[in-house]
Amino acid sequence: MPETDKLKIDIVDALKSIKDPDLGRDIVSLGFVKDVKFCGGVAAVTIELTTPACPVKDQMREEARQAILALDGVDEANVEMTARVRSSSSESTGLLPGVKNVIPVASGKGGVGKSTVSANLAVALAQSGAQVGLMDADVYGPSIPTLLGLSEKPVSGPNQQMIPVIQYDLKIISMGFFLPEDKAVIWRGPMLDKMITQFLGGVQWGELDYLIIDLPPGTGDIQLSLCQKVPLTGAVIVSTPQDVALNVAQKAIAMFNQLNTPILGIVENMSHYRCSHCGQRDDIFGTGGARQVSESRELPFLGEIPLSTNIRVHSDQGKPVVLAEPESEQAKAFLRIAENTAAQISIRNMAGDLEQDIKVSF
Amino acid sequence: MDGQTHSGDDSSPIPREITRAGEHDIRILWKSGHESIYPARYLRLKCPCAVCVDEWTGREVLRPQAVTEDVAPSSLELVGRYGMRVRWTDGHSDGIYTFKLLRELCPCCQTS
Repeated sequence: MPETDKLKIDIVDALKSIKDPDLGRDIVSLGFVKDVKFCGGVAAVTIELTTPACPVKDQMREEARQAILALDGVDEANVEMTARVRSSSSESTGLLPGVKNVIPVASGKGGVGKSTVSANLAVALAQSGAQVGLMDADVYGPSIPTLLGLSEKPVSGPNQQMIPVIQYDLKIISMGFFLPEDKAVIWRGPMLDKMITQFLGGVQWGELDYLIIDLPPGTGDIQLSLCQKVPLTGAVIVSTPQDVALNVAQKAIAMFNQLNTPILGIVENMSHYRCSHCGQRDDIFGTGGARQVSESRELPFLGEIPLSTNIRVHSDQGKPVVLAEPESEQAKAFLRIAENTAAQISIRNMAGDLEQDIKVSF
Repeated sequence: MDGQTHSGDDSSPIPREITRAGEHDIRILWKSGHESIYPARYLRLKCPCAVCVDEWTGREVLRPQAVTEDVAPSSLELVGRYGMRVRWTDGHSDGIYTFKLLRELCPCCQTS
């Protein structure tokens, strides 16, 4: 065997020592190692992760570099990190043919910050390099246009499909685009069902790694329609720490369980307040309640967001805090939640036990 | 893994394959490996929709004599992640058969 080919095998062997912390397996057996090259003492490999929002990307790159450099005959190691988001659905037809993962953001109770979490989650994922869409399915109180500073309307494209509005690298659709601010949606079930169908199939979403759906509060027509029309990857549940919100959040969890939609995890919003004058922490709504629920329900805890003025100010100004103040404590909290959510999606999709694998031939 | 992976245990059964069986019947191969064959008319009579079953009392409203002997599925589609909808040759298609219900209805598992 030529010396270079033997070294390529040694490189792959060396990379077996590196584990993906979320998936708990080595990157070689996961098939992440691509394009192993070796020439004149220089080794080059590409490692393809399951999400660009991987929190330990740089650490893995360095580990891989060191593992390769430890081999005899290697003077230099170049490790490129890329990502290909896996799909939760093997079907390429249906309402959302190019969308790999559909993630509803839900709560039981209103006013816990679903839209703020949705907007920051979507922006954070897009910032990592993923292709992301954001659907505002809260017809009663559409907040996404305000949170993202949008006033333009989507236009009609070919095939009568709506072309989503683009802002901060997100493709966005909201009922708020179609209604004057002083008009309200007062609809019965069948109309809501139609709207959901329109927002899924009637929009040119194109290729997306993640479609985040900001749901209205509750367990009603919109939630049910959504769970029936497309196979959802998994829901993100938002709650504040106090019992009155957590008790209702558990209703949302029960609904998704009943409809066989996985729960990706729970986010605790308004987790605590830090006084901007004296820096003292105040647990206004209590704290840690959502973490306790996630532990007792054996669900992943995705993170906590503090109650803070800068989140509110940037939201009202139409630029989410992850963009407006990326170095702030609040932005970092949202980034961690985005990374944890992406990790949970990868875990589920790599596990391969998803129901979309149901073969129907009829 | 956490406890929420719906891998097809008894509490949340998931099909692996849904196909026709014979001329009119429906076959489900479950992830557990179990196979269920549902005679068409049997499944039609078990339609769980609000017209066929009283939503509040659970009483079966559909009278067996109202369903013809030769009723058959004309098409079938999945509903989200949790069930399927059948279009029957008698024009009915309202019922969503959840996988849980279908597993319970498996003819070979009926004790009586």
